[in-house]
Amino acid sequence: MIVAMLNWFKRRKQTKKSYLSNEEWLELLASPADEKAVGELRKILVRGLKPALYKYVDRELDQFVEDTVQDSLVKILDKLDSFRGESRFTTWAMKVAVREGLSELRRKKWQDVSIDDLASAGIEDDDDSHPVQFAADNPGPDRTTHESMVLEKVMEIIENDLSDKQKMALNALMVEGISSTVVADQMGMKRNALYKLVHDARVKLKTKLASEGIDPDKLLEQLS
Amino acid sequence: MKLTPELLKKLVRASQKTLSEEIGCDDCFDQLHEFAELELSGKTPEKAMPLVQDHLNKCGECRQEYQALLDALRELNS
Repeated sequence: MIVAMLNWFKRRKQTKKSYLSNEEWLELLASPADEKAVGELRKILVRGLKPALYKYVDRELDQFVEDTVQDSLVKILDKLDSFRGESRFTTWAMKVAVREGLSELRRKKWQDVSIDDLASAGIEDDDDSHPVQFAADNPGPDRTTHESMVLEKVMEIIENDLSDKQKMALNALMVEGISSTVVADQMGMKRNALYKLVHDARVKLKTKLASEGIDPDKLLEQLS
Repeated sequence: MKLTPELLKKLVRASQKTLSEEIGCDDCFDQLHEFAELELSGKTPEKAMPLVQDHLNKCGECRQEYQALLDALRELNS
């Protein structure tokens, strides 16, 4: 650790930039972490996060960035083992901090929204007991019988072939436009699992359209 | 869940673009630092790591994180 610190100070003097090799970062941050190295990493993360997050933070950017960096440092130190050296260490650490900050902002933005309430509100508003229905006048009176049948078929596929969880996720994400971080939290799953859930729904829809002989391009034309 | 023509279009378009092999947010995140450095060094990460590019095209939150990461790294490199 001492050699790593000496090398760092030597380079810093020469270049006026703090630069550690990946190996040096890992050595210095391994438990018990060197305080100076943690302080240096903190400065780097703060410097990068400000321009990365300023457009998403309404006020008190400095405090938000400081808090984010504090939380990120805990995570970074905790998962040092998962850094495999494919990039600079600081790029990897910045990635962790960026996700930490944006996730926190998404949770704050949507903190008063419950997807369960949205789902219940939707059901109460509906006269029809079917969870999936075409809004307002659609399919419209100008559609041909064949077009209307195709649309009916697509609605049936969505209603019958997608699970309730998939429909809940699609509604929250695509109708309400809620952040997937928040939807995942509220559905008790990780964002990765939510992506998989929606991916499976997309695959199901694609497969069923094909097996029903529905041409997606023609369907899109009809909907235009 | 009420289907509007707009939503139905989104669903159909999304299903059309669906690949049997897609990576999720975790796999994308695992490779994002490497992808970002390739881009910043003027290389073509979308060719070297097409599944990451595909995921970024489809996942708004991963895309937002990637853009923010690029902003942060540009600041550090300035």
